[in-house]
Amino acid sequence: MSEPAIEMRNVRKTFGPVIALEKADLVVHPGTIHGLVGANGAGKSTIIKILAGIYRKTAGTIRIFGETIEDVTPVAIERRGVHFIHQDRLLVPTATVAESIFLRNEPRFGPFLNHRHMRRRSKELLHRYFDLELSPDTLISELSTAQQKIVQITRALAQDARVLVLDEPTAALIDKEVKSLFKVLRRLRDDGLAIVFISHYMSEITEICDTVTVLRNGVDVGVVDPREVGIPRIVEMMTARNTSEMYPRRAVALGAPVLSVRDLTCEPYFRNVSFDLHAGEILGLTGLLGSGDKEVLKALFGQLRTDSGEIHLNGERVEFRSPVAAVSSGVAKIPEDRRAHGVAAGLSVRENVSLASLSDVSSRGFVNRSREVEVVSGLIDDLNIKTPGPDQLVKNLSGGNQQKVVVAKWLNCNSQVYLMDEPTVAVDVGAKIEIFELMNRLAEEGKALIFLSSDLEEIVEMCDRTLVIYRGEMIADYARGDIDADRLLAAASGAPAERGTPAPVRRSA
Amino acid sequence: MSAVATAGTARPTRRKRDYSKLAVRLGAFAGFAAIALYFAATARGFVSPYNLTNIVEQSTILGLLAFGMTLVFAGTGTDVQKGGIDLSLAANAGLCAAVYAVLLRNGYGSAIAIPAAILTGMAIGALNGVAVVLFKIMPLLATLAVLNIAEGLELTLTENTVVPVSSPLIDMLAFGRFLGLSSLTWIFVVATIVLVAIAHYSRIGLRLYAVGGHKEAARAAGINNGAYVYGAYIAAGGLAGLTSILIVARLSSSTPGTGQMLLPVLAAALLGTVFSRRLIPTIGGTCLAALFIGTLANGFQLLGISSYWVSGVQGALILVVVAVTSFAKK
Repeated sequence: MSEPAIEMRNVRKTFGPVIALEKADLVVHPGTIHGLVGANGAGKSTIIKILAGIYRKTAGTIRIFGETIEDVTPVAIERRGVHFIHQDRLLVPTATVAESIFLRNEPRFGPFLNHRHMRRRSKELLHRYFDLELSPDTLISELSTAQQKIVQITRALAQDARVLVLDEPTAALIDKEVKSLFKVLRRLRDDGLAIVFISHYMSEITEICDTVTVLRNGVDVGVVDPREVGIPRIVEMMTARNTSEMYPRRAVALGAPVLSVRDLTCEPYFRNVSFDLHAGEILGLTGLLGSGDKEVLKALFGQLRTDSGEIHLNGERVEFRSPVAAVSSGVAKIPEDRRAHGVAAGLSVRENVSLASLSDVSSRGFVNRSREVEVVSGLIDDLNIKTPGPDQLVKNLSGGNQQKVVVAKWLNCNSQVYLMDEPTVAVDVGAKIEIFELMNRLAEEGKALIFLSSDLEEIVEMCDRTLVIYRGEMIADYARGDIDADRLLAAASGAPAERGTPAPVRRSA
Repeated sequence: MSAVATAGTARPTRRKRDYSKLAVRLGAFAGFAAIALYFAATARGFVSPYNLTNIVEQSTILGLLAFGMTLVFAGTGTDVQKGGIDLSLAANAGLCAAVYAVLLRNGYGSAIAIPAAILTGMAIGALNGVAVVLFKIMPLLATLAVLNIAEGLELTLTENTVVPVSSPLIDMLAFGRFLGLSSLTWIFVVATIVLVAIAHYSRIGLRLYAVGGHKEAARAAGINNGAYVYGAYIAAGGLAGLTSILIVARLSSSTPGTGQMLLPVLAAALLGTVFSRRLIPTIGGTCLAALFIGTLANGFQLLGISSYWVSGVQGALILVVVAVTSFAKK
């Protein structure tokens, strides 16, 4: 085989005591499309940032076209023809196509920009590589997402790129656009470019990649031909599950349906979402980043205006125009980013907890302090919130305890339906278990919960049923016991076997 | 036809936005033309050659300062609502005028006083840069503080009095004519051409607009963003220094109150955005906007409308322009 375009060997990266990358290899040959996959935290972005010169490696060797590079800097790496297509479309919206392609490599005519050359060459490149007749004077803000991606790639090609690293290039594209992007990538590969393709979508990995490096916990656990081994095996390599005793059990008989959703549509986020949520049920909701799962929760909480479809709460049709309306109907939401949305970090535990239920602890517009303290202290004990007292400022608590304060805030207001958006993100294991126990307790009290998480294991272990959203479509509805994390990931990644055959939605009479 | 070509058609929503942008531009040009026609019909002497050159002359000082503001907008945020601003610009010009006038009064020649005035302006600009880039203070607040510093220094220098000066150069600037046009008009024309070349036809300009248009994108392209922001503030300060000499020449003195030019300067730079295809501040757009505001002031004067109204109209213009451009961009 030819000399590798990229050869990273035994690369290690530590941040203080944290090992981000233990010992990983990444070898990419010219004329191939090489996939890089791994679960969150496996070290994918770390190894790419080391290659890009954004992080400095702790140990290991990096060779580009056979040349060992000791000091990897963004400039040094770009000079050797390695270009990165960032996930965010990093282009200036007010610049033209030609300006964007040549920014920082502008051809000059005397002291001036050579606009004519920029225009002609942009046109030529776009035509040659993409068969795209796009006026070089078009503004970036007027382009579609796919076209912006193309401009980014063209910018790299204009600088004679020999290696392209694409980070989640399809994240914001629709199916048709993905197809055209793939066509272009194959063509570039046939021209001899080395392409590194990073994606969460397993179906895309098998479709486009010639080889795949699988990362798990900072180690490359294998280099495989994706078409040979198939999605399930790759997912298995990624996860290597070991379900511990993390998940407390509960036994609840499901009650009557509380929340019924029919054909809920909110373009462009999701379409035709239908399900029933029963009292005492924990309903899982999952999907990849940008799949539209978060937007479903937002729509249910009145944060997004829906296009069509119906929501019934206790048999009555409701339409929440704002979160306030949702809360007063008994729907509570525990938001993901608790620093931004969940708690007022500068207020005390007491104030935060009673914020959502001030009407219960106040009379004639004034807060009844002794009643407030009583209620809050009870909740602090119940939830095992580790705080010196109710007047401690929330910002001084640990992440897990902050999250418990958010939960307490909504527990206090006696809601019927709880929408939980990633309640376990960035909390330690101990706090996680406490949050799970709390969810179980709510279910036992007959509340209905929707639990959104991208941690599939949590979903599998905690939920009575699970809905999977893929590119805005509800593609699967699994009952507990029907599903394991592998199949769930395969479904969320759009694996063909799991698509198109959603279990029939259970409808109550 | 390849599959890629299908991705090549712009989405309908984007098209709609294009029309609203076009409507804004056409509306701006039509508005300018309509007001000029109205003055031509109602204000006696408006269309006389003397008055027309007078408008350009009156617009020169405003225009040059607005060019400085335009450069700051370009480098710190072409979306004027989220980006940077230089509130100290007019006060800076006042300080430079004071430096120039006081130096002349104390017997120094123009060879010293002019560079001193321009360097003062650039120093104040650099101070803005330090506050915004190094200390990461919100530009609105940072430049407001610098405005106070500049004003304080001006008052200290002049003791809040008029400093009358005269020199051959000042006479030449105030009364000189070439090919029938006054010195100020020529300076406006030359400055416009030079700045258009730098801002819109050079690498520096392209990169400056990239920094202002999308910080992260510029950084990803390998541009040193901080240097360009410093550059924009220092260039604006330099322009304030240059303009201060014209201010002194026009009034034959350094006079307190130059800082009050801020509102018209801001109005001109913001209004300029509606004359550009991209709805961003450009030198050409600002030039037109300065002439527009000059025309308004002149027309009001000829019609005998109180000059107090001009200030109100400028404020209203700022509100309308910012509202319209942000709606058109949505």
